[in-house]
Amino acid sequence: MRKFRLLWVLVSSLPGVAFAQGEATWRSVDYARQLRDTMPQRVRVQYNAGRVDVRGSNDPLLYGMHLRYDEARSVPLHSHDAEQRSTVLGLEPRVNGMRNASSGGESGEMRLTLPRSVLLDLSLEFGGTESTLDLGGMALQALSLKCGAADAKLLFSRPNRSRMRDMDVSVGAADFSASHLANANAEQIRIQGGVGDVDLDFSGTWTRDLTVVAQLAVGRLTLRLPPDVGVRLEVERVIAGFDHAGLVKRSDGWYSPNYDQSAHKVYIRAQTFLGKVNVLQAER
Amino acid sequence: MPARVRKLAIALVVFLPLSLAAQGTRNANLSRDLERLSKGERIAGIPSADSVTAGPRSIAAGVTVHGTVVAQGPVDVIGRVEGSVVSLSGDVTVHHGGVITGDALAVGGRVNADSGVVSGEMRSVATLPALLAAAPLVAEARSPAQLTMDSVRIVSVTFGVLLIIAVGVLLFAGRNLDEVVATIRQRFAHVFWIGLLGQVCLLPALAVLLLALALSLIGILLIPFAVVAYAIACAGLLTLGFLAVARLVGGAVWRSPGDGDRTRALFGLAIGIGVFFALWMVAALLTWAPLAATVMRAAALAATWAAMTLGLGAALQSRAGSHRRVAAGKRPVELAAWQTPTPVAGIVAARRPTATAGEAR
Repeated sequence: MRKFRLLWVLVSSLPGVAFAQGEATWRSVDYARQLRDTMPQRVRVQYNAGRVDVRGSNDPLLYGMHLRYDEARSVPLHSHDAEQRSTVLGLEPRVNGMRNASSGGESGEMRLTLPRSVLLDLSLEFGGTESTLDLGGMALQALSLKCGAADAKLLFSRPNRSRMRDMDVSVGAADFSASHLANANAEQIRIQGGVGDVDLDFSGTWTRDLTVVAQLAVGRLTLRLPPDVGVRLEVERVIAGFDHAGLVKRSDGWYSPNYDQSAHKVYIRAQTFLGKVNVLQAER
Repeated sequence: MPARVRKLAIALVVFLPLSLAAQGTRNANLSRDLERLSKGERIAGIPSADSVTAGPRSIAAGVTVHGTVVAQGPVDVIGRVEGSVVSLSGDVTVHHGGVITGDALAVGGRVNADSGVVSGEMRSVATLPALLAAAPLVAEARSPAQLTMDSVRIVSVTFGVLLIIAVGVLLFAGRNLDEVVATIRQRFAHVFWIGLLGQVCLLPALAVLLLALALSLIGILLIPFAVVAYAIACAGLLTLGFLAVARLVGGAVWRSPGDGDRTRALFGLAIGIGVFFALWMVAALLTWAPLAATVMRAAALAATWAAMTLGLGAALQSRAGSHRRVAAGKRPVELAAWQTPTPVAGIVAARRPTATAGEAR
């Protein structure tokens, strides 16, 4: 009788085990490619859901990517075109975008390192990812970051080694924070946000004047500015508050008191519909 | 035959088939692994199972191997491989002077190429990829009975959802629904044409709205929200209108003067929705006969479209039921021609009573 019960338990639990195995098949892989030269490259990274960590590296590799993903739902992307000098990395859904890298409460993971010694045009497209991006010390010529519906933290821990032509950030329904943006060495930064808080910290090493266009539909836009930088701010808002924190109103916008004397200037055009614009300029 | 020779012969007879069977199983597993390697990891030029090295493999200095190298143990490359290198169990190490012109793949190990050259990609994987079927381009072949059951299930679920929405509308927007029903009763043909016009104008109206937002510059930020809000508003108007028509139809089919207003409205709605869904259900039940199902679906679609058009027109005319002239029992002005007009000479006003001296005190 006892054996019969044991057999019954085994038989009845088998389909469950098989089902559980059919649900998610987690796999870990590492991809890397040796760096042949230091000519400029274009890198596009695509990732749907999970955790993402992107940072620079001094290793002689064009890329080093660690992925943990559900094999039943996603397929790794790792193609390189040597002639075009372009690389596509990340993960794509196996079935028409209906499934993502997160299943059964677990979530996938991508850790990506990119070279600091190569000029890069970097394009990052994330869906529902929690992303941490430390792009400090790299040589970015252009950066495009698109985030869907999860938090993103962008950091330039060290100055960018190249002058950045363009930096475009587009955030959907997510919170976005960017730190040490002066280190990006960008001429212009455009940030578009849908719903959520956007926190921009402009500390770091200033080497040139900067233009920032920040558009946020609904949410709070916080601009953290260093004391020694001249600030000129234009705000367009509909149903939004504005905390100007020591800026002085002139005919064509709000200016910091040190604007005319400062070595570096930032021109910020902030547009928001519903929410608040906060300007925080640290005192000397 | 001496005893020793006999024992040897017996051992050969017993172990040779076992050994051959084991060899066959190994080859089958290896072939499967190579297929996974070829399809999952897209390694080109995978050799046959017979050409795979059973244990470790080393490519000596000065040696050039043409084609992909696969081994079931660690691989050391000091020479040159014109192709890819795969270790099915262990590391791939490219030593100083070693060159791999293709990819280097280590299953269950690492690719170490700090001093060598790998022209392709270096991959370290914990396991080989599973051979998963590609996403089917067409729906799986299902039997007519299964297809019929699927259709019936879809219709039933949709009916249930619409019933729940109907109860919600009745509870929270009952007066609006009454007004739309009254508008249909009063101006049947008129609201049909308005509904038709409304359908034609849905997309142009959205385009105009978006253009206006874009022109106002600051409104550009609102475009995604405007699209969503517009879609919700249209869906709401269509649903309200369809429910109003369903209630009208249900009320005509089921008359029970004894019940209260709420009960009558609820039963009328349920029966009206049931009438429309009966057509869809018949079409679903005929799924096993494609021609009959197509004809029935066309009939159901036509009936539903007519109801939707009528309802949309009434919802627009009555401003989603918020224009309460009809439901309040007051006829619209243009229909009130029968009312007695005010005499041209006017009506004599009554004198206002004035307080007497005694009352003033």
